[in-house]
Amino acid sequence: MSCSPFDLRDYYFKELAENERRQTEIHVKTCAHCREELDRLRGTEAALLTLPDQEIPQRIGFISDPVFEPSPMSRWWAAFWGSAARLGFASAAMLSIALIVFSFTRPVPQVSAPAPASNAALQAEVTKRVNEAVQKAVAESDARHAHQVAELLAATEKRNTLEREALLVRVQEYLDVEKKRMDRVILASNDYGEQR
Amino acid sequence: MIFRAVEDADLIRKARRGDVEAYNLLISRWERRVYNYLLRLVAHREDALDLSQDVFLKAYQNLRKLEDPARFGPWLYRIAHNEAYSLFRKRRPAGETEELQPETMEGEATVGGNAVFPIEMTLAVSAALGKLNADQRETVVLKIYQGFKFEEIAEIVEAPVSTVKSRLYTALDLLKAELAPVKRGVS
Repeated sequence: MSCSPFDLRDYYFKELAENERRQTEIHVKTCAHCREELDRLRGTEAALLTLPDQEIPQRIGFISDPVFEPSPMSRWWAAFWGSAARLGFASAAMLSIALIVFSFTRPVPQVSAPAPASNAALQAEVTKRVNEAVQKAVAESDARHAHQVAELLAATEKRNTLEREALLVRVQEYLDVEKKRMDRVILASNDYGEQR
Repeated sequence: MIFRAVEDADLIRKARRGDVEAYNLLISRWERRVYNYLLRLVAHREDALDLSQDVFLKAYQNLRKLEDPARFGPWLYRIAHNEAYSLFRKRRPAGETEELQPETMEGEATVGGNAVFPIEMTLAVSAALGKLNADQRETVVLKIYQGFKFEEIAEIVEAPVSTVKSRLYTALDLLKAELAPVKRGVS
């Protein structure tokens, strides 16, 4: 088992990140066990590399024959389907065209005949409810107004009565005063006549 | 490396427009690598050649589906992987481990007629690779012989990176044990 801070085999195959590689390198310099492990790996790799590459027995090549070559149209078609961007653009364009065509050629809805009747009924119902609500509101307003007028009239009548009574009292007092004054005048006249 | 990648991308663009010669040039750059990957996987030269031809034909037919030309290598190996595993399925019922009896290849340990490696070692390596299961062998081939990064291998074999690592390290342990006696004998 290796005592290296990181996998010694990853280090050997240069698959460690730079900082990991540096730490492992420092460790290997001071660890004989890890150096031996690296030597074993090197030995195994060297043994494997004694198996040389073989020459290919027959070169591979294709001939440019117009008979087998795709036509420009086929090539364009293959390129078209091979490109996601072009395919996406074409799909979007077709969808747009379909929407435009549909908007111009949209058929008249077949089930539109009953719609006016139901609309009229709905409108009548709405009008009825609105009228009812208006009538109710007007009635409430009238009642409220009549009540206010009645209260006002009652208050006015009461005030008038009180004023009339007060006026009558004052007239009575005036008449009393005038009567007393007349009495005194009569008495004084009588006294003057007797004296003559 | 970057210059090479740009050139490949240019050839791919030309091939997409129907330039067969550009595609043939692209094939010439990759055919040896793909052939050797398939040969080490199926351990049969004719099968490997047939599969290589199928791989390049399918790649040509599907070149327009390759979104990033810079990823041509892993994409091509993905096709090769699929072709090899289709062959495995034809050879054996699903679920059984594909163990190989590698062909004895004359001149295997020679380059240009000169002996480079001890013949015992190359034979032992062939035999040891044949004892791995197909997944382990493929991972060793992609990492050791083809030099792919773990992420690229994961893309080719359509498996998580952790699975790829596990297959490789298990395979290396097995190979180390298989080859240890030979290494001692050679040295």
